[in-house]
Amino acid sequence: MSYQEKRIITSTVTGALVLGAYCIYAIGKYQSGAVAPEDLKFWASTMLIFIGIGAAATIVIQIVFHILLSISIAVKEKIRDGQCDDEEIEKTIEAEMVEDEMDKLIELKSTRIGFIFAGIGFVAALGSLVLTFSPVVMLNMMFISFSIGSMFEGFAQLYFYRKGIHNG
Amino acid sequence: MARKFKITNNIRKLRFFANEMTQQELAKKAEVSRQTVNAIEASKYSPSLELAFRIADAFGVKIGDVFDYEVKGE
Repeated sequence: MSYQEKRIITSTVTGALVLGAYCIYAIGKYQSGAVAPEDLKFWASTMLIFIGIGAAATIVIQIVFHILLSISIAVKEKIRDGQCDDEEIEKTIEAEMVEDEMDKLIELKSTRIGFIFAGIGFVAALGSLVLTFSPVVMLNMMFISFSIGSMFEGFAQLYFYRKGIHNG
Repeated sequence: MARKFKITNNIRKLRFFANEMTQQELAKKAEVSRQTVNAIEASKYSPSLELAFRIADAFGVKIGDVFDYEVKGE
């Protein structure tokens, strides 16, 4: 498995965990009756907090991931060639983490797929308001659809890395 | 019937004749990742013209010696 695939899996799993944590927290609060069903301020602040948690978790996990990956590459290089120096190991790490035109094309195409899912969720959320559901439902639908859209972006990237991608 | 173009390549053969050059070595010369070289070799990715020239340059041959295309559905 390549560096890009590992990085995508890490960030997708992080996104899924944050979404799962939000769902558990939100459903728990709602079921306990601690929050009024129409308290939009509570839901908005909860979502903002979880967006912050998601961003912080992504940054921390990516840093840890890159440190672990660099260590594993260095260890592999040392085992393979006991004579290799630090400069050589650094070059190998850099070569492994390079982002080229194929990565950019895959990112572009999968971002589009992610936005399609987020867009469908947004329209469905607006539809729920029209169908007289509460604004809390709409807010949650939007938040969850954007999170799921981001996860689908990751799945699409993995698919393109496995199956290949062509211009046009 | 619409014509379909499939880009084929001789990278594996050229690597063999270049003293069994590894994908990593070719990737370094062409300034891309090893995975991209692997995808191009397996015809899973069609490179840009610029990258195609860089790959040909890495082997010291013309672009036509590395890449070719098949026309299907004529």
